[in-house]
Amino acid sequence: MAASPYLLLLLLVLHWPAAAPGTASSPPPSEPPHSPPPQKVQVWPKPTSISWQSSVYAPLSPSFSIRAVPSHPTLRDAIAFYTHLIRTERHAPLVPPGNYTVSRVPIRLLALSVSDPEVPLGPGVDESYTLSVLPDSGSADISAATSWGAIRGLETFSQLAWAGGGPDSGGQSIVPSGIEISDRPHFTHRGILLDTARNFYPVRDILHTIRAMAFNKLNVFHWHITDAQSFPIVLPTVPNLANFGSYSPSMRYTENDVRRIVRFAASFGIRVIPEIDMPGHTGSWAGAYPDIVTCANKFWAPRAKPALAAEPGTGQLNPLNPKTYRVAQDVMRDLVALFPDPYIHGGADEVNTACWEDDPVVRRFLAEGGTHDHLLEVFINATRPFVTQELNRTVVYWEDVLLGPKVMVGPTILPKETTILQTWNNGPENTKRVVAAGYRAIVSSASYYYLDCGHGGWVGNDSRYDKQEKEREGTPLFNDPGGTGGSWCAPFKTWQRVYDYDILHGLNDDEAQLVLGGEVALWSEQSDETVLDGRLWPRAAAAAETLWSGNKGSTGKKRYANATERLNDWRHRMVGRGIRAEPIQPLWCPLHPGMCDLSQ
Amino acid sequence: MAAKNGGSLALFLVLCFLLTSPPLARGDTPFPINVWPKPTSMSWAEPHMAVRVSSSFCVIAPSANTHLLAAAHRYSALLRSERYRPLVPPAANLTAAAAGGKAAELRRLTLAVSDLHAPLQHGVDESYSLEIPPTGGEATLTAATAWGAMRGLETFSQLTWWGHAAGYRRAALQLVVAAGVRVYDRPLYPHRGLMLDTGRTYIPVDDILRTIDAMAANKMNVFHWHITDSQSFPLELPSEPALADKGSYGEGMRYTVEDVKLIVDFAMSRGVRVVPEIDSPGHTASWAAAYPEIVSCAGKFWLPDASDWPNRLAAEPGAGQLNPLEPKTYEVLSNVINDVTSLFPDGFYHGGADEITPGCWKSDPSIQAYLANGGTLSQLLEKFVGAAHPLIVSKNRTAVYWEDLLLDQAVNVTPSTIPRETTILQTWNNGANNTKLIVQAGYRAIVSSASFYYLDCGHGDFVGNNSVYDDQRSDYDTSGGSWCGPYKTWQRVYDYDIAGGLTEEEARLVIGGELAMWTEQVDAAVLDGRVWPRASAMAEALWSGNRDAAGRKRYAEATDRLTDWRHRMVGRGVRAEPIQPLWCRSRPGMCNLVR
Repeated sequence: MAASPYLLLLLLVLHWPAAAPGTASSPPPSEPPHSPPPQKVQVWPKPTSISWQSSVYAPLSPSFSIRAVPSHPTLRDAIAFYTHLIRTERHAPLVPPGNYTVSRVPIRLLALSVSDPEVPLGPGVDESYTLSVLPDSGSADISAATSWGAIRGLETFSQLAWAGGGPDSGGQSIVPSGIEISDRPHFTHRGILLDTARNFYPVRDILHTIRAMAFNKLNVFHWHITDAQSFPIVLPTVPNLANFGSYSPSMRYTENDVRRIVRFAASFGIRVIPEIDMPGHTGSWAGAYPDIVTCANKFWAPRAKPALAAEPGTGQLNPLNPKTYRVAQDVMRDLVALFPDPYIHGGADEVNTACWEDDPVVRRFLAEGGTHDHLLEVFINATRPFVTQELNRTVVYWEDVLLGPKVMVGPTILPKETTILQTWNNGPENTKRVVAAGYRAIVSSASYYYLDCGHGGWVGNDSRYDKQEKEREGTPLFNDPGGTGGSWCAPFKTWQRVYDYDILHGLNDDEAQLVLGGEVALWSEQSDETVLDGRLWPRAAAAAETLWSGNKGSTGKKRYANATERLNDWRHRMVGRGIRAEPIQPLWCPLHPGMCDLSQ
Repeated sequence: MAAKNGGSLALFLVLCFLLTSPPLARGDTPFPINVWPKPTSMSWAEPHMAVRVSSSFCVIAPSANTHLLAAAHRYSALLRSERYRPLVPPAANLTAAAAGGKAAELRRLTLAVSDLHAPLQHGVDESYSLEIPPTGGEATLTAATAWGAMRGLETFSQLTWWGHAAGYRRAALQLVVAAGVRVYDRPLYPHRGLMLDTGRTYIPVDDILRTIDAMAANKMNVFHWHITDSQSFPLELPSEPALADKGSYGEGMRYTVEDVKLIVDFAMSRGVRVVPEIDSPGHTASWAAAYPEIVSCAGKFWLPDASDWPNRLAAEPGAGQLNPLEPKTYEVLSNVINDVTSLFPDGFYHGGADEITPGCWKSDPSIQAYLANGGTLSQLLEKFVGAAHPLIVSKNRTAVYWEDLLLDQAVNVTPSTIPRETTILQTWNNGANNTKLIVQAGYRAIVSSASFYYLDCGHGDFVGNNSVYDDQRSDYDTSGGSWCGPYKTWQRVYDYDIAGGLTEEEARLVIGGELAMWTEQVDAAVLDGRVWPRASAMAEALWSGNRDAAGRKRYAEATDRLTDWRHRMVGRGVRAEPIQPLWCRSRPGMCNLVR
């Protein structure tokens, strides 16, 4: 008993050469005595339904190609990308499957058939597909209703391939022969929010992230473009916002950059939803338009007074200045011209009362009986109808606009047909409040989906870290275990935490219908391109599976234990694809299945 | 001393480079000179001036020390290739012309070292002084040892930047250096280290080298290499090849003898010592692949009963402890110590000895018999250490152990087993309290208190099948599964006073500190961001302290400097994480908690 796992270790070590990337692999020895139960098919996110009875793999022909019938421009880039990836990738699983044979008939062709390739990319688009590799036919098929489903199928096919055939496959990757997959997502909205305003991300890192999203079948890139700290997007009508609000000339997204990002994302079936946060989080607008921003450039947390912003970087659009709306409308008109998606994100989170009160006109308005809620209402009424009616977009706002806690508006000025609310506070409770009020919801609950949490505070001159003694029991903890370490949304959200979240928790069937999906969020106070990959991945992959095929096994039990081993392998594959995802366990763990669990 | 080395001083090597630089010009916004860690004493004549570094600038170094020569070569190349542009443009006036109308420029940096042969070892003199004349010409770097000279070379490199030639017709960038600068510098603590665990996760040699290079840039001088652990034994040892053969993660995930030589030599030419740790008798499951008979409880599930933590077999997955009752244990251990001490020239050898888990030994039949006959676990440990310690000392090494050996409540040894002259204890629990216990017992201490210096903390847990995360309430246990949460921010690291609460006499026994990078959730993909710039925070606190001249903690002032230094490190190829939005750097004080 004591010795058997070590026998296993020995065997795995013997297998190792096959696992070195780029090396030609040899077939594993037949019938290893203590081979682990083979993870026969490794696709992340796990498909809804896989059927594969045999243990025969087919090699891919060196001339492997992908053809769409009928061919369609929406598929061209994806076909080129996946042809190259599938031909060149030589994935060596951490624990290679054992006991298989390699068929003699190589697969030359992957045929895509799309019933309606004209369906545009957009909310709720059909992403289902079926995939089959017919035994000894030399070909594989993907059928999908739309191009976007076909692209999901291409990703799945790429993950079926691995370098295990040895000489039998001529060094080519092999795929399961006779496999049938039928797959579709649970949620139509599966996204990542990236904040490019606190810190700037070069275009290549955004493209790189979008590519990694495609690997994980995520379909929404929610681009939180601007914030109080910087305004990096160059808008043709109001170029001074970026000229005076970006960090530097080299830290701006030009029209060409944006078009390139949108086009690149679309080629992978990923929508780009732009967010220009307002009326809060707009300190960066004051560089170009100081007159429309209240409390700009003030110290954020004046002594003995209410804070002017949620964090350093003050400034809020002034709802009582007509010029505010001229600029805001220019911004939104330009934005719509750059981003084809039917959704536009209007922000509206964390409106700060003290910041508005810093302005004399606002103070007069309040003195004459006006309220903060009324101010926000003025702002929403002057911006929202323009977006929904003239620009024909659905507006997404953060939950704050309806739920407050401090400043909010009533549902009458937020028509449900053209408003979606994104929740971030109070976990399932706020999702429930949003849908109970009749709104569609996107779930980004901070206590599960905020990827920046648990990294301590970043605000300077913070004496709380300068505590040398162990904190006494009974006092609020800060530096000791259980303390936040300065992060308002601590602790760090591990992949298991992300994976386990049921975004429909506590909702009835009707309410659940209104939840479009979820987005993990990376706020960038403490990240930039140097650490981006490790912050996002593989935790965003955990959300990707939960939102695609759920976090429960066929028995209805949460499948996080089983997902651990699969995610180890998927992370390993992502690293091979150039994504610097962080490891979730020592390598010892996937090599000793189950031994790193909390309970046996 | 001077006489002994007089001869070698005569021989110099001249390392020059050719720069194709545009004509000089001036810049004008204020530029706080930024050397990290901040030197003990530095002055920059007012008004702040800078001179262009000549296109034929040379470093003139004594040739008798090959490591110093390598360093001079390296810095010469760095000056040539680095294109560091400060986030906030510099404010020094460029000295446009020297007397005689010729453009002022720095032509050479001359090194003078009094003892070129002082070996790199604990306590070696790392002081240096540097002078860059106001009108350029020749800068001089004086140091007692080659290692001090290397610190000075780093400082010199950080005094250079690429300045914009604004105001001149042919506006262009050029390499300039602060002029009229005098630095006198020496470290507060002789031991300033980083511990890297390559047992949980293999870290490729290149990544280790990059880490050591970054350490040297931060004037850190000890790379504590936690080579092996329960999960893997990646070090190839000539006398015990089976340990790595069978205990490593696999071919391509082992350190060969050549790798070790490369790493040790690379580190030495940067003034960085490499202290090897072979953790034993705990944390040795990986030895069982080669020698199952010497490891207790190997291969068993680590936590047989999740509700019975005291009877766990290991602190984390990967159970196995060397069996002190097995004679073969000492045969293997002796070979390991022989090989490791011949591979690693440093005067310290780290023997580990942390986290002896009673449940593991208690599950071993031979140990059960020993205990039944009245033996105790502490006697068992004493038996092991009583054999290991003399082996280490016989190699002329000082043994370093984790504090557990002395301070663990359940299993520990008597001080007589570990003589104070040949033993140093490394503390990791209970913050300053345990440091105090160690030095009061008369031992020298290395401080790695987890609540300040553990870089892995606050990242949740890595153990699988953990239902604790499956809690749909939004507010839950804020430790998030990390035993030593929360995450240690750079400010937390920076603020730690490792000699806090000690008397002067006790404080003398604290030789320094080490940040620890345990790698359950780290590999090469994310290594840089986990280590940097937080290790820089410790590097400054241990080099020149965390207080200003008035004795006040200087974390507020350090923030912008650290942002600048992190920016420079990123330019040097270290993927350090940002500590704030870039917005903060150009608005001094605006991102503070208190103005």
